[in-house]
Amino acid sequence: MTRVRVTAPQSAGRRPGGYLSGRDGFAGGRDAAVDSEVGRLYVRSLIRSQLRLAIVVAAGFLLVLAACGLMVALVPDLARLRLLGIPVNWLILGAGLYPVIGLAAWLYNRSAARNEARYRELVDER
Amino acid sequence: MSPPVGLAAFLVVVIATAVVGFYGLRISRTTGDFYVASRTVPPWWNASAIGGEYLSAASFLGVAGLILLSGTDALWFPVGYTAGYLMLLLFVAAPLRRSGAYTIPDFTEARLESKAVRRVTSLVVVAVGWLYIVPQLHGAGLTIRISTGLPSWVGALAVVVVVYLTVAAGGMRSITFVQAFQYWLKLTALAVPVVFLLLHQSGGTAIPVPEAVNPTGLPAAGGYQTVSLLVALLFGTLGLPHVLVRFYTNPDGRSARRTTLIVLGLLSVFYLFPTAAGLLGRMYAPELARGGRSDALVLLLPGELVGGTVGELLSALVVAGAFAAFLSTTSGLMVSLAGVISQDLLGGNVRGFRIAALLAAVVPLVFALVTDSLGLAGSVGLVFAFTASTICPVLLLGIWWRGLSDAGAIAGMLTGAVLCGGAMVAATLLGSGTAPAWLAQPAAWTVPAAFAVMVLVSLATRQRIPGTVTRVMTRLHVPERPLADGR
Repeated sequence: MTRVRVTAPQSAGRRPGGYLSGRDGFAGGRDAAVDSEVGRLYVRSLIRSQLRLAIVVAAGFLLVLAACGLMVALVPDLARLRLLGIPVNWLILGAGLYPVIGLAAWLYNRSAARNEARYRELVDER
Repeated sequence: MSPPVGLAAFLVVVIATAVVGFYGLRISRTTGDFYVASRTVPPWWNASAIGGEYLSAASFLGVAGLILLSGTDALWFPVGYTAGYLMLLLFVAAPLRRSGAYTIPDFTEARLESKAVRRVTSLVVVAVGWLYIVPQLHGAGLTIRISTGLPSWVGALAVVVVVYLTVAAGGMRSITFVQAFQYWLKLTALAVPVVFLLLHQSGGTAIPVPEAVNPTGLPAAGGYQTVSLLVALLFGTLGLPHVLVRFYTNPDGRSARRTTLIVLGLLSVFYLFPTAAGLLGRMYAPELARGGRSDALVLLLPGELVGGTVGELLSALVVAGAFAAFLSTTSGLMVSLAGVISQDLLGGNVRGFRIAALLAAVVPLVFALVTDSLGLAGSVGLVFAFTASTICPVLLLGIWWRGLSDAGAIAGMLTGAVLCGGAMVAATLLGSGTAPAWLAQPAAWTVPAAFAVMVLVSLATRQRIPGTVTRVMTRLHVPERPLADGR
């Protein structure tokens, strides 16, 4: 057996139509969705709901980020306040934001999966 | 730090990398092997591998150094590096995995049905890769100088040679295992010394207020700079070429999301330690901020605060972790770069790949040798600004907007590249002290400009929207059918 370079397995990028045309069997079930007017409608609404979800989560996170930044910038007394010997402004920016990021990601994953499940139900009922 | 200890730590990591690389060669022979194996890689391994490749010199050395220099202003760097993955999760992870594309040029070509878009994307990816490797080599030079007393170029050259040999042999890419291992090595190499120092110091004297110790007298960053930095970090991550390629090893879109969630956890845990190291440095070793040694803070801290044999051992551990960071990030970038260069310029055979890997290695090496590091976290931050102004718009609009045309994509990427690249060059020519904030930290205006041009040109060239767009959008967003579902 000889060694070859690792590339995209379908190596479909070279074919006319490329990877995304999804004629490699892998996406067979998914292609059925575009064969009818209703199917296309479902796909559009899935994309729209996923985008809305992503924007809402991103905006919520950015609001928290901005609030923390403003709080640290506008309330200098936070630097004198201590928790376990560490200034509170360091705790907020250096450790407090990470759980917020994690929470936002977890909530997004749950809702995105739910959107997809709802789409599946719609398509299968048809 | 005594030179033999530093040299020993360096050699151990280099030899371990080479051995694991060549061992990986034996077990992974074909594309198929890699593919099959990759589908059985559990999300935890995959996430560790992504973390291992992502945590570079900037994270391992630069963050603590910058915190030492500028205090709370610098805390935005690790937050931004982590939150960038949140944006990647929200807007890119699952659709990109579902696209089946292996590289960013693959994706743009397939989405827009255009060879020209592919070529422009490839050029941008190559520029990003080169820009990103340079700070890794600066970090390697700094580490070898501090730990062994050898000249800086030895470190940069050593990293390039080791990475080139493993990449050209084909060993590194095929093994998720190596990169996963690198994450845990980096975490241990930073966590053990930092926890030790925290325990060591907390038993001692009263803690001085970190704000009161401003070792450099640098003015606080303005609101514009912080916002611009966050724009760069939040939207730059999702365009990094070596990050994207790792998502391919997820079996489907849903597991791509789960993997990203774990990555976020791993990064959050990791960044607590450079942050703590920076805080320790600010409290107990502010003199390290002078003389351009701030980026070496985590290397010097154990010797400064503990000293003796224990200090030596802790330093050796940090040096090992630092080299793991340079090696893993550089190899990830070099593989991505070599893939793009060989496919798009050299015809894509194995010999072409080796020549391409050489090109991918030598250009940044020369650049690193003739330039001086201006702060690792800052220079990596600029690379993020560049990807946020070029690759980010084409990915986001490509995934979410049917109206994107090939002309719009090209115009937007070129606008972002010219504006952001121009600002970077101008700021360098003016010198870091005198360049105005809008040039030194350009993302806040170059990213919207690139988006605006991409949208406007696409609207003006509606007739160029590819006919496959509906099919492609379906492929990107519709969930894979679970295998158990018998239809």
